[in-house]
Amino acid sequence: MEGSNLGVMAWRNIWRNLRRTVLTISSIAFGTFLAVISTGIQDRNFSEMIDLAARMGGGHVTIQHKEYQDYPTMSRTIENCKEITKSALKDKQVKHVVTRITGHTMISTAKGSYGAGFMAIDPLKEDDKTLSIIKNIVKGSMFATSMDRGIILGERLAKNLGAKMGSKVVYTMTDRKGEIVRGLAHVSGIIRTGAPGIDSGLSILPIDSVRKILGFSENEAIQVAVFIEDQRKSKQVAKRLSKKSGTGSATLTWNEVNPELAGFISMKIGGAIFMEMLIAVLVAAGIFNTLFVSVMERLREFGIMMAIGFSPGSLFRLVMLESLWLGLVGLVSGAIVTAGPYYYLASKGLDMTAMIGEGGSEVAGVAISPIFHVGIFPEHAALIAGAVFITTMISGLYPAWRAGRVVPVDTIKLV
Amino acid sequence: MNDIKQVPVVELKDVTRTYRQGDVDVNALRGLTLTINKGEFTAVCGPSGSGKTTILNIIGALDVASSGKVSVEGKDLSSLNRRELSIMRRDSIGFVFQAYNLIPVLTAYENAEIVMSLQGIAADERRNRVMDLLSEVGLEGMEDRKPHQLSGGQQQRIAIARAIAANPAVILADEPTANVDSDTADKLLDIMETLNRKRGVTFIFSTHDPKVMDRARRIVRLIDGRVVIDENRKNN
Repeated sequence: MEGSNLGVMAWRNIWRNLRRTVLTISSIAFGTFLAVISTGIQDRNFSEMIDLAARMGGGHVTIQHKEYQDYPTMSRTIENCKEITKSALKDKQVKHVVTRITGHTMISTAKGSYGAGFMAIDPLKEDDKTLSIIKNIVKGSMFATSMDRGIILGERLAKNLGAKMGSKVVYTMTDRKGEIVRGLAHVSGIIRTGAPGIDSGLSILPIDSVRKILGFSENEAIQVAVFIEDQRKSKQVAKRLSKKSGTGSATLTWNEVNPELAGFISMKIGGAIFMEMLIAVLVAAGIFNTLFVSVMERLREFGIMMAIGFSPGSLFRLVMLESLWLGLVGLVSGAIVTAGPYYYLASKGLDMTAMIGEGGSEVAGVAISPIFHVGIFPEHAALIAGAVFITTMISGLYPAWRAGRVVPVDTIKLV
Repeated sequence: MNDIKQVPVVELKDVTRTYRQGDVDVNALRGLTLTINKGEFTAVCGPSGSGKTTILNIIGALDVASSGKVSVEGKDLSSLNRRELSIMRRDSIGFVFQAYNLIPVLTAYENAEIVMSLQGIAADERRNRVMDLLSEVGLEGMEDRKPHQLSGGQQQRIAIARAIAANPAVILADEPTANVDSDTADKLLDIMETLNRKRGVTFIFSTHDPKVMDRARRIVRLIDGRVVIDENRKNN
């Protein structure tokens, strides 16, 4: 039989029990909606978290001394930062490259001393695209030059130290030989992120001032942070850059530098995949039920069809085409149902402040916004569409097989 | 007529069919031998349980004989696999059922066309044949109606058109007049008789209806799975 005729029959068959078909299509549409929205929230939020983590730490790709990851001391530096930067900027995925010195320091005032992390940056090359917390400066401003005498403190750290704008602080760190060295700075800015770990434990310093104290050359730093267009390409970019950056350095992706965040995201994605599989099973059960009941109700009709010359294969194809139609209509309905909420959530977002507080929460030092937006990756949208489609077709296999196995004489009952 | 009877279309030789009902074996057919020739207009009659239905099922390749040989157009049905049997049903056998049994989602036209479509006949030829047939069965202008929009008699006419459209060797009609009124039954029989005479289509009826038996040119009477009367009525 011509495929188009079977297709027409299948199309009409699915509408014979309108209520049942509408329910099935609704379950496919709802499953698609849930999958798209939850995946969209993940894609967007995890991407933002990764970008944020990159902009709070070492970029999407970090080039540092090959032993620094395991032994983070000031003796393990990169001594050809300018060459690495120049080479990295030639990669078309790379948007920004900055050099930094990071480590731990003890900050002291007359009131007391507190341990904190420090990040020494070049204020002329960094902005909120490379260091997100720059936009969280609530008092004061960024340093004027890389030799500035200022220091920017987390709000909570400043409070603990009793430091105000202009206050004098002494920062103490260990140089490459393990000797204690000191610097003097004036508080020139206060940062408030809402993330407790940052607000109570981070300080920012001008890079050349720190180089001078640590005895680094002007081409020397702890890390070269590379920022790329699409965080999903981190691995490929790292691979390309590692070939150029020399044997003494290690080129790491954000998830190697920040395994805690990578673990958190993997765990969340794992949980989401489990939930989506559960949704798929529920949707599949709905489709299977519809098709199976529909086939069992039509056994006599299939018997008649066999009697007039339909082959078992054509009955199998007919029911599979019914599956196909259900899947396609379900997907289109899913797209229609999802479009409005998706657009709203993509632009306005879902405000979860009531649940997680105004400051949001923090994972591995990365602040999570309390407003969830959606932004699904195209390949994930295609994957969901494919999964819904395949689920629908798999659900139709047994009912279709059953239709093809009808024994006409048992179902027709001629007299 | 004698020339036509020389070509056997259906042959049953020593056919038995035994069913198991609970713990009891039921012998529906007991060594039945029967030959139906091309162009015959045959009524198989007999009381309930005499084996009428079983004969139609077996000739129609819907059921399998327990023993004996069944041939349609010279092909031994026992030698055919499932696929070959479905091709046999499609190409050589037409069914007209008591309850019409049209496919409810198809229009009158599509129901009449469906078997030809299964045969892969070109659309233009299908259209010509179906339109001719619908005209012959008196349903011109009703091509687009669905079965539920047609009366019982009209549905049965479509079923006849469907059965004939693919030019089968034999049409098996199971109580085709049982669900329609007397006038409609007459009209249906007129149509089938005309098709039989004009086109030489072979009909085998299973029936209780005296109207059908009156029109039949051959009566095969069954009792307890055996042929007790096989009568040619040349005057019809």
